[in-house]
Amino acid sequence: MYRTLPYLGLFAATVLLQVFLFDNLSISVYLNPLIYIAFIALLPLDAQPATLLGSGLLLGITMDCAMGAAGINTIATLPVAFFRPTLAAMICGRENVREGGIPSPERLGPRKFFAYLFSLTLIHHTIFFLFEALSWDLLFHTILRIVLSTIVSVAFCWIIARIFTAKLPVRV
Amino acid sequence: MRKLIEFIRSIYVVVLFVVLEIAAVSYYAHSSSYTQARLLARSNQVAGGLHGFFAGVRRYLFLGRENRHLAERVARLEEQLAQYREAETEARLDDYMRDIGESKYRFATAAVVGNTLNRMQNLLTLNRGRRDGIEEEMGVLAPDGSLVGYVVACSERYAVALSVLNTSFRTSGKIVDTEYSGSIYWDGRDPNTVILGELSKYAEPQPGQEVVTAGLSEYFPADVLIGWVESAQLNETRTSYTVRVRLAAEMSRLNEVILVADRDRYEIQDLQHSEQVEQHTRLN
Repeated sequence: MYRTLPYLGLFAATVLLQVFLFDNLSISVYLNPLIYIAFIALLPLDAQPATLLGSGLLLGITMDCAMGAAGINTIATLPVAFFRPTLAAMICGRENVREGGIPSPERLGPRKFFAYLFSLTLIHHTIFFLFEALSWDLLFHTILRIVLSTIVSVAFCWIIARIFTAKLPVRV
Repeated sequence: MRKLIEFIRSIYVVVLFVVLEIAAVSYYAHSSSYTQARLLARSNQVAGGLHGFFAGVRRYLFLGRENRHLAERVARLEEQLAQYREAETEARLDDYMRDIGESKYRFATAAVVGNTLNRMQNLLTLNRGRRDGIEEEMGVLAPDGSLVGYVVACSERYAVALSVLNTSFRTSGKIVDTEYSGSIYWDGRDPNTVILGELSKYAEPQPGQEVVTAGLSEYFPADVLIGWVESAQLNETRTSYTVRVRLAAEMSRLNEVILVADRDRYEIQDLQHSEQVEQHTRLN
């Protein structure tokens, strides 16, 4: 794989930010942004499905150990990694995906990048919060948590994407 | 043969995904708050130092408030001490007080290095572990003496406690100065309130009344402050109240905690598991 080093840096940065900043913010029960999903979202567009799945597994297990949440992060990151190629092809077109490059507002255009990032984050947060609640009693409560946290996460992931791609050429 | 290999190549990612997802879900399904706490305790051996650094920075910002609280507490204890001295003198005069040896409860303090509020299963990480005499099932109290949680896992240098803001947390509570007790738990909605459920309909809770631990639980002494009644509701069958209790402990600003262990509990447990008791239960 090319660009291993920047991606290792991104992995460390997202995990550390999540564990030491966002997990400690504790603004409200309804706001629990999980920004580490930016790592999966920013892997190259032409990455192999197996690579994506491996990265998802590694990220999930790392977060589970750091958060002390037995498996719930892995449960949520695996589908995101698995469905990413399909989603990217649906939103950005197969040609774009084949060409490769790092997903970013410059590479895909702000609107498409937003749709791409939002759908990935929504899948992740939906699975995460549903598994965390494990009951239908507080469904409205859970939906509110999913929606609010997704919005905040997308905003932070956008910033991370801008910083990550600032120094790198858009097309690899 | 080539077709078979190609077929396997085309679906192995799907198979891999399904297998990994099932493994993750089954691990999650078989986990409890205890396994989660153990996991956190283990990863703290690596990340503990970093956590401690950030907690140190945070604690520095709250030093003033912390100091004020401590001073208030010292004043209160000073007052109690004076009362006890008086009582002791009287007792000695009456030759009534017998030597009870060391106190029933053992206390320790710890700093909070990790605390979450925004999950359903919130856990606290404390910077004291087995090395400092912390054991599983010790109660965790805020500096002002109100209920916070209890320890579920220890490593050499760290301990992880189940916060009262954890949907798995259970203890018994009662309205102060009454004998009606119910169970204290969190419904996962508001990090400032917990529920006192199954409280007898004769208790007639009024807003503002103090709610304290009933002492029926293994983890806490009796009469530890939990909070104040905010609102109460009779259930549909009109047999018991569900009471919302405003927490006395400020969970979002927890920097230091007091740990309490019941010395007698271990003695009682040892006794319950002793050979004589087992022999008698086996006979019956």
